[in-house]
Amino acid sequence: MKEPVFEVFARKSRGEPLRHIGFINAETGDLARVYAWKTYDEQNWEEMCVVPRAAILPVDPEESQFVTLLGRDGEQALVHSRGAGSYGGGELAVKEGR
Amino acid sequence: MNAAATEARVEKAAELPEDAREALKALLLALADSKRVLGLRYSDRMLGAPTLEAGIAASSMAQDEWGHARLTYALLGDFGEEPKALEHERPAAEYRSHPALDAAFGSWADTIAAGLLVDTALAVQYSALVDSRYVPAHNRVQKMLDEERFHFQYAAGWARRMAAVPEVRAELADSLRRYLPQALLWLGDDDAAGTRRLVEEGLVCAGPSALRDRFLARVAPVLAETGLAGEIGLSPTGGYDGALDRSGWDEATRRAGGSLDEGTAARARGDKNRALLLD
Repeated sequence: MKEPVFEVFARKSRGEPLRHIGFINAETGDLARVYAWKTYDEQNWEEMCVVPRAAILPVDPEESQFVTLLGRDGEQALVHSRGAGSYGGGELAVKEGR
Repeated sequence: MNAAATEARVEKAAELPEDAREALKALLLALADSKRVLGLRYSDRMLGAPTLEAGIAASSMAQDEWGHARLTYALLGDFGEEPKALEHERPAAEYRSHPALDAAFGSWADTIAAGLLVDTALAVQYSALVDSRYVPAHNRVQKMLDEERFHFQYAAGWARRMAAVPEVRAELADSLRRYLPQALLWLGDDDAAGTRRLVEEGLVCAGPSALRDRFLARVAPVLAETGLAGEIGLSPTGGYDGALDRSGWDEATRRAGGSLDEGTAARARGDKNRALLLD
């Protein structure tokens, strides 16, 4: 079983924008939250969020690092409810992940 | 809330009646020792967890537990104890850690079952101190409970995942079945003298039965999701159908005998690096 990728975003203070700080692999959103909090704990974050990589819609797919390796069959099912439409990296050429 | 519990908050343990003070001291020592040993058990999973992320989280939880242990040992300074001696100088037989933690986790299923049941039992017992009128405990507990939310999510997430994997489902059920009665029993006996005094004095805000209900309200929905609830003795309403055997159970040690082994106690004390310990 392949674990989906979740991108991790955080901010140090309330007024600061969320910034991308890394990623983790996790089977579910619940475990993704725990792993993100426990892995990226070098700062006293005001807020941290995890986003399934497949939920990120790159404006320019050719330049984006957020291209899913699993494609639409894997991560689309995780992220989108049935009938919600297709978006994300599934239809894109798969790039080499990190 | 009874009359005593509405009295003014207490800043120093010396202000408490002796029997209540001794009961609170015993509770804090049981909590601190349990946290210390649980941290050791989690640390054994820093490497060799199913995924890298799971190992990193186990490492972080081990650190959390040792932090909680240290905070709790420090509270005992107000009870005439020397926290450093409690941490570094006691033989295994004097440890009051949760008996379910006497044996190392034999498998990943044990780790997850103990995380879900034993760690949650400890958190529920700490939660009874949130509104304690003993101010030093009240002041320290909330941060620990905030961290424990992640421990619960971790164990719950893994329990759901393991229950869905046929190869490990039965092993998880075995581990859960073994830890559940121990977790429930450890929360205590409503009729025990010291426990009654803790409630009467407003030093804990809930007695053992209420804490067992709180514990089950937390873990039963997860166990129901795994589909293993009935197998491990939970009723459809989330109650525990099994009997809790209190024979020989001692309220001060929260044990019915047995003790931590000397090897684990040596790790808990930090014997190997004793020469480097600074005052």
